[in-house]
Amino acid sequence: MSITNTSATIIQPLPAASSNWLRDLVGIAIILAAAIVGYFLFPNNLALLTRMIAIMLFVLSLDLVTGYCGVATLGHAALFGAGAYAAGIAAAHFGVTEPITMIAIGAVGGAVAGLVSGVVILRGHGLAQLVLSIAIIHLFHEAANKASNYTGGSDGLAGITPDPILGLFEFDLWGRTAYVFGIVLLIVIFVLLRILVRSPFGLLCRGIRQDPVRVSAMGASVKRTLIKMYVISGVVAGIGGAFNAVSTQVVGLDSLSFTNSAEALVMLVLGGVGTLFGALIGTIVFIGVEDFVSAANPFHWLTIVGALLIAVVLFAPKGLYGTAAALVERYRKGGK
Amino acid sequence: MKKLILAAAASLLMTASAYAEVIKVGVVGPFSGPFAIQGKNFKAGIDAYLAEHGNKVGENTIEILYRDVPQPDPAQSKALAQELVVKEGVQYLAGFYFTPDAMAVTPLLKQGNVPMVIMNAATSAIVTKSPLVVRTSFTTWQTSAPMAKTARERGVEKAITVVSDYGPGVDSETAFKTTFEKEGGTVVESIRMPLSTNDFSPIMQRVRDSGAQAVFAFLPSGPTTLGFVKAYNENGLKQAGIQFLAPGDLTQESDLPAIGDAGVGILTTFHYSIAHDSPENKAFVAAAQKAIGNPAELSFPSVGAYDGMFVITKMIEATGGKQDAEKAVEAVKGLAWESPRGPVSIDPETRHITQNIYLREVAKGDDGGYYNKEIKTFEKQPDPGLAAAK
Repeated sequence: MSITNTSATIIQPLPAASSNWLRDLVGIAIILAAAIVGYFLFPNNLALLTRMIAIMLFVLSLDLVTGYCGVATLGHAALFGAGAYAAGIAAAHFGVTEPITMIAIGAVGGAVAGLVSGVVILRGHGLAQLVLSIAIIHLFHEAANKASNYTGGSDGLAGITPDPILGLFEFDLWGRTAYVFGIVLLIVIFVLLRILVRSPFGLLCRGIRQDPVRVSAMGASVKRTLIKMYVISGVVAGIGGAFNAVSTQVVGLDSLSFTNSAEALVMLVLGGVGTLFGALIGTIVFIGVEDFVSAANPFHWLTIVGALLIAVVLFAPKGLYGTAAALVERYRKGGK
Repeated sequence: MKKLILAAAASLLMTASAYAEVIKVGVVGPFSGPFAIQGKNFKAGIDAYLAEHGNKVGENTIEILYRDVPQPDPAQSKALAQELVVKEGVQYLAGFYFTPDAMAVTPLLKQGNVPMVIMNAATSAIVTKSPLVVRTSFTTWQTSAPMAKTARERGVEKAITVVSDYGPGVDSETAFKTTFEKEGGTVVESIRMPLSTNDFSPIMQRVRDSGAQAVFAFLPSGPTTLGFVKAYNENGLKQAGIQFLAPGDLTQESDLPAIGDAGVGILTTFHYSIAHDSPENKAFVAAAQKAIGNPAELSFPSVGAYDGMFVITKMIEATGGKQDAEKAVEAVKGLAWESPRGPVSIDPETRHITQNIYLREVAKGDDGGYYNKEIKTFEKQPDPGLAAAK
């Protein structure tokens, strides 16, 4: 993947900093607006929207390593699941039921898993890397299955009962509290990630994706940079996993599954690799469509989802956001 | 004239208040993916019940809403159940093939004022998670423990257990081991295989070397089971006289054609065989086979669903269509009826189904097909799993 990119993409000149901040503010406003519209338009679907937020955090974290660093991985759910289990085990076995503390514990869990899998996966390149990532996710899965005293094994980890947030807002049946909590988390993380990807560190990562040899010739350590990014990605995925554990009050082995990793990659490709907005849009579209068609036809819905994916890959190879952005760009140039 | 209008208006009002309500039942199960056949059996059982009894309970009409969770996925299961309760306004939740999916939903029940009728998920502990859970299927303990008694009765002194290394497998192993040792037998070795094991020859060799007279096995139904049974035959264990024992999940009717001759003689204990000889079952099988389309696909989840529907209609009768989860569950405690599987009742303590467990042998029928022939009945078995967990 990274090889084909090298020749095709040219490092773009940095736009002026002020217009960047303006774009960010617009971006945040759009997320906020979408969140409010979602709240009032689908007051009875908040559970689904909340799940979307958790997965968005997961896909964002995948985007950090795959989109920005060019690391091919099918084992990213290890980071998400580690966060979910860390928060869940803390709540179910050690009585840590304060939601914000649980999220912090999840972030630490995710970071540790990110460090471990980063160190292993980055030893390989290309196909070997992919194979290592698959091995990692299977190892994590089996470890959680074996440690059933702590994780509940294939029965799932139940008995997670988070306290009200700040002692004020209780988690309700309609999922309002969880939804608002999730939106706040998402916006905070989104802002931090925007700053991150535009920082010198973020640019270094993009440079590595395009030409690792040149970056190391410049004197930067490729591997150390990538592992750093992996740990950051682990924090984000861990927060997503912990948020999922808090909002659904249960953690299952599926959160550490290969399927989960692969689906996240599909959502990322659907939305557009290498852009934060692409990660968000891909998740919304994928889970939204999945929910809609699976309710309409619970028996044959997978076929419809498959057809949609093929259509996107054929007609919008840069993903939904990437293609839309390219169209806008072309329109602007045509206008000048 | 005025009186007439008033009377007309009054009668209109009265019919309106007595007018039938639509009572929605949300069914969560695997309707696509590798376990789709189990979900199809849920639907066949429900359809068979509605075909036999109609979709009316008193004045009220039942409407079924299906939601798909293809593989164990508690978060998805919970999101869907939540949506069913708050958006669709279902009064009853039912289905649930996998234990984690059912466990995830139990915290919702009280807040949503919704009873849950489990039509399959077989881990004992689920019923303890909420007082609004009723189960019409079976537990792994319930179907595995009688096998240990059978083995002892047949003079087996030493047995070996081989199970897939996941929740139900471990449950099954513990159930067999505990009961077998209580009856005076010895389990010489307990092997746990990874779920994805495909090559069973080394395991068969270990079974042989262990000197056991019988092997007790538990694997999830489907392709792995087929491989396991095949390996049992090919490695000459059958000729060596090592008896094959298992709970009935392994010889599920929809798998029997693929197992074929290799399966003949396998002993299993289970709560339901399609071949159960009773008028209730004949009527049920006819209706359910019609509902499922391909008769060969019919197997045990259908009967759990059928009885689950019976329990739900009793709940609707008791509450008169009003949403009152506690009253509904209270009404079916101790309920006893004649199911297609035989006489059953809901234990008022555990809200789990008390039922006959049958010892069956895979046999070849006159029509060339294979079936589970019932050869012995263990009457009125409660769930021993809960007592053992205490």
